[in-house]
This record gives sequence, structure tokens and C-alpha cells, in this order.
Amino acid sequence: MKKFFKISGTVLCTILLNSRGICAEDTVKVGVLHSLSGTMAISETSLRDILLFTFDEINKKGGVMGKKIEPVIVDGASNWPLFAEKAKQLLEQDKVACTFGCWTSVSRKSVLPVFEKDNGMLFYPVQYEGEELSKNIFYTAEAVNQQATPAVDYLLDQGKKKFYLIGTDYVYPQTTNLVLLEYLQSKGVPVENIGGGLKKDDAGNVTSAGKYTPFGHTDYQQIVGEIKQFAASGDACVINTINGDSNVPFFKEIAAAGITSADCPVVSFSLSEDELRSLPTKDLVGELGCWTYFMSLPTPENKKFVSDFNSWLTTEKYPGVIKEKRVTCSPMVLSYDGVYLWKAAVEKAKSFDVDKVREALEAGVEFTGPGGKVTMQKNHHVTKNVYIGETKADGQFKIVKTFDQVFGEPFLKGTFAKKTAAE
Amino acid sequence: MRMFKISHHVPSSCARAIAVGVLAAFLVSWSFTARAEDTAATRQLLAHAIVSEGDEQLKSIAALAESNSDLVRKVLVAWPQDAVFIYQNGDGTRVPVLLEEAQDAEGKAGALRIDNNQPLTDASGQRLTFAAGELKAADTDNKLRKAIKNTLDLMTLADADPQARRSAVMKLGGTQKVDYLPILQSRQAKEKSPVVLKALQEAIAIIQLKSTDSALRIEAITQLGKLNSIGSLGLLQQIAASTAPGDAKSAAQNAASSIESYISRVNFVGTIFRGLSLGSILLVVALGLAITFGLMGVINMAHGEMIAVGAYTVYIVENIFGPGLWLSPFGLHIHFPALNLGGWQYESYFLVALPLAFLTAAIAGLILERTVIQFLYRRPLESLLATWGVSLILQQTFRLIFGAANVQVNSPRWLSGNYTISDVLLGYNRLFVIGFAVAIVIGTWMILTKTPLGLLIRAVMQNRNMAACMGVRTERVNMLTFAFGSGLAGLAGAFLSQIGNVGPSLGQSYIVDCFMTVVVGGVGNIIGTVCSALGIGLIDQTLQPFIGPVMGKITVLCGIILFLQWRPAGLFVTKSRSLEG
Repeated sequence: MKKFFKISGTVLCTILLNSRGICAEDTVKVGVLHSLSGTMAISETSLRDILLFTFDEINKKGGVMGKKIEPVIVDGASNWPLFAEKAKQLLEQDKVACTFGCWTSVSRKSVLPVFEKDNGMLFYPVQYEGEELSKNIFYTAEAVNQQATPAVDYLLDQGKKKFYLIGTDYVYPQTTNLVLLEYLQSKGVPVENIGGGLKKDDAGNVTSAGKYTPFGHTDYQQIVGEIKQFAASGDACVINTINGDSNVPFFKEIAAAGITSADCPVVSFSLSEDELRSLPTKDLVGELGCWTYFMSLPTPENKKFVSDFNSWLTTEKYPGVIKEKRVTCSPMVLSYDGVYLWKAAVEKAKSFDVDKVREALEAGVEFTGPGGKVTMQKNHHVTKNVYIGETKADGQFKIVKTFDQVFGEPFLKGTFAKKTAAE
Repeated sequence: MRMFKISHHVPSSCARAIAVGVLAAFLVSWSFTARAEDTAATRQLLAHAIVSEGDEQLKSIAALAESNSDLVRKVLVAWPQDAVFIYQNGDGTRVPVLLEEAQDAEGKAGALRIDNNQPLTDASGQRLTFAAGELKAADTDNKLRKAIKNTLDLMTLADADPQARRSAVMKLGGTQKVDYLPILQSRQAKEKSPVVLKALQEAIAIIQLKSTDSALRIEAITQLGKLNSIGSLGLLQQIAASTAPGDAKSAAQNAASSIESYISRVNFVGTIFRGLSLGSILLVVALGLAITFGLMGVINMAHGEMIAVGAYTVYIVENIFGPGLWLSPFGLHIHFPALNLGGWQYESYFLVALPLAFLTAAIAGLILERTVIQFLYRRPLESLLATWGVSLILQQTFRLIFGAANVQVNSPRWLSGNYTISDVLLGYNRLFVIGFAVAIVIGTWMILTKTPLGLLIRAVMQNRNMAACMGVRTERVNMLTFAFGSGLAGLAGAFLSQIGNVGPSLGQSYIVDCFMTVVVGGVGNIIGTVCSALGIGLIDQTLQPFIGPVMGKITVLCGIILFLQWRPAGLFVTKSRSLEG
């Protein structure tokens, strides 16, 4: 029996020594709140990996204000109420200084009250629909005017006059398309040139613009037939907010209908390099993407970032980290930027206290990351570069247009119509 | 039989496509030799166009449209993408160059002079190399890019591919610029392809809509109406709603309404075709279940995973024909060798994959039957639970072998494309699935009714004990029937890999549709399954344009619930073992 205790004691010690940061006394706890199981795990585990990489990178250089970052990783399990519980655990039990996490808007909405009640701090890294601003959340994500409207500007510049809106039926595509509808009209695109159909309430206000399909939809024949007719005049394009693997049947149908990117390009807001890994990229060559980072950016910061991440992957022992065929994409880089912005703010405030760090962030800290310079704004969004890329057969993007330092603006609904009225 | 005719079209269209391709290749090589002597002059003009400025530059770019050389096309495409570079010579002259693809050890590449196709050298004849960013790219502005684009458009009018010509024609027409009229008209005199000719007529009429001559304008309007030009509908409606002179307005109204009624006819035929194809997909996925559930009475929740087995088989075969595949499940390292085929050999991987998908799924079904289902024939509820468990195990196995993410399956070219018959799109893959469904239904029917095995199957399904008394080895028949049903699911998976995702949850997304189709058709009746699949497909596609895909699906499901309230046994009621209780 004694021997058993001895052995188990040794085992326990080894486990403790091997696990991250436990033995270092001078640490700061930081939460990682992503779905590591369930439907969203495919996307969100990449963010967990990049966060671990970032923490290691910072710790190697001495940590934040001399303290090593100690991640507390919890699994939201693609279950939105569970996200709220896990957030509560991070804030009340683990007392983390800051949390990085969430992918879907619904998970963010469900943790928001927890962060506000316990005065926590969350960095949110994935493109979203805007119309939200919490004092406890910092949105490194692309706002609609850092993805959707620049893409429209680019297409208008290319001489496109007709826009077909299609998306998955949930909050992000619905809200984005309503904003786009206003934006397109403010740019002089008549409403009959916006495809997909409008839904109006009794008072005549548009409640939904574009065509929507459920998650996991597989039959796009009818819609693609409609797009083909819509694009017959040769000056149309498609704005695609379809999420997840429904993109495969959609693009296969587009290819089968002979709609080419030269005649009617499709710009997709939910397909980054990470998603392209599991799509038949042959069918997508020449289609457009719009993000604030592309893996193919030729800057030295990005080259270093990509090679550092790849070499980190080869040595990393954390269970569940996939090592083959990894790519970097915008949500990953925005997570990375988020950690560095927080670090800069902590060092500026000389404190880990949430209120002081928030003040420092709101005053405007900046960081030059793989996607270029990012600056935190007073409205908790980030000024950054926006890039438009064409998909290549190898799943990478060829950058065709750069918008420098775009100010992130979450509240767009209703602003465009006013502008034209003022003009 | 008509269906069969369509399925025969597929290979012949493929052969035709190959023939056209070969012909096009000949034409291209022929035209190269014919143009060989003018390239020197073209090169000079091209170089001049890049280094000159202002109007002179725009003029030279426009002049390039006549050249129709591949080099011009390449340079004009590269130019706005900052891939054409300017080298400042020692004497101040500017030399436009293209960087070579090949880079040396330091990442430097040699440069080719555009004016004479020689490598760029310094005064001593030494070859110069440059790293990225060392040379200044020839810059462009919007005006220049527009000029370049116009020239490129004009050049594509002479492209060897009729589809490319057609889209170039439509683009030029869409600009409604009178300058293009003479070019389009001269092309019209030369053009042979009927598709492009129609596009030319359309484009010319669309440009003439802007004409100030009212007679010509009205003629153009009527012409567009006659051509049923969907692309110009918007323009015609504008004229109809505008303050144009009366006769033009009424002509536009007539033309627009005739195009609109044409569109509704196209949509009607299109919807029927799409309904048939969706129905065929449902039929293909449900036919296997119609046998295992319908005839044998096994509630097989793992049917979806048999579909996935077929789809993954296609994935493996595709990779063997292409670059090979390494899989490392359970710590093993399995390597599928690469054949690295190209061209038609690679494109034919799908034909090889089809029988293999049937075989692997049939073998998987056989194992499932021997290990689990044979003990549960008289206990349908337990078979439901057990097969559901098997389905979860199989899904996890797919995850371990192939990864949680979906895998890419590239469709062969002959399955990706379409026939367009007066604006009705008939996708090759859709035509294929209709033919495929007909073929496997007839095949299944033949096996069940015309072979000794089929006779035994029917005997066992109707009365197991009696069949056993007559000396039929019922166990073996059960085993073979289940394997056959699973094999059909594998075939369905093979086809689904061509139109959608291949991933661990592939089966999950179809299992509900499968049961729905079989139950509505009447359990135990294959003709019922055929009717219900086609019926559900047609209703779904008819509803979609009116109420959208989300509401459409809900309506279909509600309709099915109501239908089953009315006829609990489905469309066709058959007496089979599963209904004996």
C-alpha cells in the first residue's frame, strides 16, 4: 500500500510538473473559452491552438509584466448555455484576468451577461454582424464595414451592377444582408438589382433581404438556377454568407451550372483558408474572399508568424493538436492580435485589473501583427487593414486589393440612408 | 425507356467534349504557326504600350486588340496585377520585362524582355536576376485598366472556346457602348457557333437600345423579345417604365412580357427537371433501405453510414488515381499508392469507384448482419437500438480514420457541366443521377423477379418458416439480402460524393430522408418507394421558389405527417413480414 502511494505520488507530481505553468508561482491566469467538441470544434480548436502558441511565444520572451501566462482551457462543447456556465467558472472560480474565446454570435450573446455581471474581459476574434457593444467585450473581429462593405466596394469598382444575396438562416447573414441592402441602395444600386428576394412586414419595412437556407442544406439546384437567370446580363455577382459545409453542394452546383468567376464572381464571408481545407477548391478558383488577414500576405511579420506557428506545431505535445496540413486564417490571427493587444494594454496600465486595462485599451493601444497594424479603438473595435483575395487551387488566396487601416464601426444599420439624405 | 436515352447521352456528350477539345487544341496550335511572323512587330507594340504614356499609351493598347497573340493576352492580364516590371537601363531607357517563374537558390529570378523575348542582360552580356520587390512594377490606373480590359475583351471575341466567346460578347453588349457595334457585327459575319451567334444578336440589339434612331431602337426591342433574351429583361423593363415615346414603350412592354412568360416556361420545365433529379437522389439513397427495412423489416439506423462507406470509397479511389493517400488510424500507417493519372484516365476514376463502393458497402453490411442483426430478426425495437449504436461507432471510426473535417472529392469533368436547352439547365450530374436511379431500380427489380436469388429472397420475405420448410437456407438469403441493400446504399454514397460533402456525418443528414421516403411509399414496396421519392422531390422543388427552402422543407414534412395520418401504411399497402406484428 505504501508503495502504491509512493508510485501514485510520483505520477501525480510528474503530471503536475508537466502541465502548463502550474509549478511557476509567478503567473497570470487567462481563460480560453472555445468549443473543443461538437459541431463547432472543427473551427474552434484552431483558435485554441493559436492561443496556446501565442501564450508560449509571450512566455518565452518573459511573459506579461514579468508574469507567465497560465491558460485555463474550458470546453464550450458547441452548447450555448454551457458557454455561459463555463464563462462563470472562469470568472468566479479561476478568477482569470482576461478571456479569449467564442466563435458563433449566439455563444457570444450567451456569455455577454456573465461577463458584464462579473466585470470580466473577453476578446472576440471572428467576423460578426455588429449592432452590439459591451464594455466587457473587445471585438478584434471584422465588423461588417471591415468585410462586407469593402467587398461590395470592390465589386462595384469591377463594374458589377447586380448583387445576389444568399446565406444560412441565422443572425449573422440576416443582419449583414440587411446592412448590405441599405449600403447598396446608398450606392445607387436599385432594389430590383438586388437578388434573392425581400421580405417586408406590414408597415413595409424590409425585415429580411436575400435567400436563406437552413444549416446543412444540400439541394441548391433551384437557387443556382435563379442565380443563372439573374446573372444572364453579365454584370452580376453573388454575396455568399452560407456557413459551414453547405458551401460544398452550393459551389458544386455553381460549377455544374457553368457560372464562372469571370462572369459572376461569388464573394464568401465565411470561407477562410481553414475552411478551404475541406472544400473542393478546384471548383472555387477565382471566387473572392474578404478578410483582414490572408496566409499569403508577403509581409515579414506574417512569414515569421507562419513559420513560427508551424515549428511550434511540430514540438507541441498538447493533446488534440492536429499537426498535419495546418494553415493560418483571419480568426486565428485576430485571436493572436487580441492577446498582444491585451498584453500591451496591461503593460501600459501596469496592472491586470480589468477596469484599468479597459481604460488603457480604450485609449488606443496598437500592435503590428501578421495582418498589418491593428489599433484598438474607443468603441472596442479595431482599426486594421482589409484585404480582398481570389481563391487559388491550393486553397490559398491571391490578394487583389488592400484597404488600408479601416476603422471598425459596429453600428451601421440606418447610417447609409441618412448619409445619402444629407448629401 | 426515355430515361435510358438520357443516360446514354452522358457518355456521348463526354466523347463530343473530348472531340471539341482536341479540335480546339489543333486550332490553337495552327493559329500560332500562322501568326509566328507578326510577333516581332506585336512585341514592339506591346513594349511601347507599356512604357509610353497618356493618349499614346491608350491608343497602343487599343491597337493590340488586333494582334490576337497569346503573349499579349498574358502580359495584359499580368499588367494590372503588378506582374509586369520596368527595368531602368543605364542609358535611361525603360525596358518592360516579365520575371521568370523559376527562382535560384537566393530566391532571385531572371527577367525576359517583352520587346524581343531575350533574357535581360547587363552591358557585358551577363544575365541579370532580381529578387521580389527589386524591380518596379509597371503601374496602372483605372483608365488604363479599363483600356486593358476592353482590349482583352476584344481578344476573347476571337477565343477558341465558344463559351468564352459568348461571355465576352455578352460583356461587350452589357456596356451598351456604340463603339463596339462594328466589332460585334464583323464578328457576326464570321461566327459559326449558334450559341455565340445568338449572343451576338442579343448584344447588338442591347447596344442598339441606346440608339437615337427610333425605328432602329424599336426593331432592337422587338428583336430582343423574339430572342427571349433574359439578360436584357431589366433594360426592357426600364424602357417600359420610362418616358420613352409611345411606340417604343409599348414595344418594350410587349417584349418584356413575352420574355417574362418565356422565363416562367423555363422555370416550369426547370422545376420539373430539378424535382426529378432530387427525387432520383432520394430514390437512390432510399432504395437500399427499401430492401433492408421494407422487405426484411430491419430498422437499420446504420443505413446512413453505409452511404458514407460508399462515399469514402470514392474518396480513396480518387486519391489512388491522383496523388495517393496516407491514412493513420489507430496508430497504423496505411499508404494507398499513387497512380498519378491525368486526363481521361483520371476522369474515369468514378466509373471504377462505383462498383468498388457497392462492394465495400456490401461487405460492411455483411459483417454488420453477421455480427449484430442476425440475432435480432424477431426483435425490431432492439434492432433499432443496436443499429443506432453501430451507426455511432461507425461515425467515430470515420473520424479516427479520415479526420473530423470533410474530405475533398473532385468531380470528374464529365459530371460537372451542363446542357443548356433554351435556357433550361440540365446539369450532367443531374442527368447522371436520373439515369443512375433508373438503372438501379431496373437492376433491383430484375434481381428480385428474374433471378433464382430473387425468388428465394421473395420467398423468405413472405414467409420465412414456410421457405425454411421448403429447404431454403434462410440465413444465407437474409445475409445476402442485407448485403445487397447495404451495397445499394454504398452506390448512393458514391453518387452523393459528387454533389455534396463527404464527412463522418454524411449518413446522418440523409437517414431521415431515407426513412421518410420508404415509409411514405409504403413499407415493403419498391414501386411505392419510387413514387414517393419522385413525389417528394417534385413537391419540394415546386414549393421552393414560392416559399423559400426553409419553409419548403417544413411544409413537405408537415404534409408527410398529415399524409401518414390519412394513410398510415403509405402510398402502396403491401402485406409483408414486418406488418405481421
